[in-house]
Amino acid sequence: MAVIEDYNMPDELYYHEEDTWVKVEGDNVRVGMTDFYQKLAGDTTYVDLPFEGDKIVQGETCGKIQSAKWVGKFVSPVSGNIVEVNEKLEDNCTLINKDPYGEGWIMIVKLSKLEEELKKLYHGDAVEPWLKQKIKEVEKKK
Amino acid sequence: MQILNLGKLPGQQSMLGFHALARLGFEGLVIVSPKIPLASVGYFQDAEKEIDLDYCKKAGIPIMRREVGGGATYLDKNQIFYQVIWKKRNPKFPKKVTEIFEFLSQPPCDTYKEFGIDTYFRPANDIVTREGKKIAGEGGGDIEDSMVLVGGILMDFDYETMGKILKVPDEKFRDKIYKSMKENLTTMKRELGTVPESESIVKVLVEKYEKILGKLDLISLTSETLNKMFELERWFTSKEFLFKKTPRIPKGVRIKEGVEILYSIYKAHGGLIRTSQEVEEEIIEDIIISGDFQFYPKAELEAMEQNLANTKRKDSLINLKIEKFYDKHKIETPKVEPEDFTNAIVIAK
Repeated sequence: MAVIEDYNMPDELYYHEEDTWVKVEGDNVRVGMTDFYQKLAGDTTYVDLPFEGDKIVQGETCGKIQSAKWVGKFVSPVSGNIVEVNEKLEDNCTLINKDPYGEGWIMIVKLSKLEEELKKLYHGDAVEPWLKQKIKEVEKKK
Repeated sequence: MQILNLGKLPGQQSMLGFHALARLGFEGLVIVSPKIPLASVGYFQDAEKEIDLDYCKKAGIPIMRREVGGGATYLDKNQIFYQVIWKKRNPKFPKKVTEIFEFLSQPPCDTYKEFGIDTYFRPANDIVTREGKKIAGEGGGDIEDSMVLVGGILMDFDYETMGKILKVPDEKFRDKIYKSMKENLTTMKRELGTVPESESIVKVLVEKYEKILGKLDLISLTSETLNKMFELERWFTSKEFLFKKTPRIPKGVRIKEGVEILYSIYKAHGGLIRTSQEVEEEIIEDIIISGDFQFYPKAELEAMEQNLANTKRKDSLINLKIEKFYDKHKIETPKVEPEDFTNAIVIAK
């Protein structure tokens, strides 16, 4: 697990600009929100998730997440068909905060173009400079 | 950045403006008051559960779901809404949600102060007087590539109509809600005994926002914005969007036969307690407790809900569990006692 300035960013994951993570599991990927997101947004109070079977497109909003009284976007980091949605979040959406890379996962997606899509995400050495830039933007306004 | 002073607009138009402008990439401040009253629910609220639809229909009060957070509310000409819209990447604005609310609440706090009402920002999203009474509530959200914070200066407030538009499980609770609002929500009129001219409030509010946002250039409503508002109106007033269920019940999960969903609203001295319970053969299977009471540490409320699962709905058993939980987790709830939670649970129907 890589820790970049207090934010956990597991090495094996791929990251999208809009603070989602992607974990490759065979032909499918598991998707969730990053530790950076959950620390910035605060406690999750509601989620409005896409449905199983929905077709989603990389970079497009496919759900909403509320923390405090702020309704944020859930932007899909990949394109494909949703195989499974984490129904536990319907009852306990704070899992996104408590365990963002574990029980707080959001959906499993079957990708049509796995390799091609992953190239558009941050991974490996590219993660640290990208996240540090985001952290800098957060700190700038303090 | 720009300022768009829309003055008074009919009902939904007053809320459609910021939804349209956010989609069109506007950055700045919108000031507006509803000429005709309306009821509004937050994005994640169930309009059928929160709003007395029959009353609103009879009274001719339109209902609108907004794309930002917050609770059910009644909007009318006695409120001046400030709607701040900016692009996500704009470095003038904080990135953390908690900091956004605090940053953008300072101008309305300063505005109230200018008129002699000492107010401050109370996390997560309220502006309160020194006596702890709420005088503005705010909500926010991401709309496409923009971020929006909305709130309202309360010149005056129609407590009675607000009490009527809310759906209550039993009519006797309506009076309790009304009294609770009177105790916990205040207005400029109640604080000052009189209402300043709305133009002078707007002038001060804009000046205060300019202090943090920089000079705001006055612009007029364009046909592009109007067209976008009309386009959005169809969707926002559609039954599909207005009665949208979020969070939805997951696919394949049905409420079993013999399982009841019970609701309650109970007024404690420290605020309203709402419960919704899934009950099977008088056993609480699941419970959600919410309201405007204070509960410290906040994160333990969920643990208390879990602690109450599988408990028989008998007041002595429930009270014992809650008291033990208070002791073990060092819970503090100003002016709300464990008995209040017990009462809120057992009166549910």
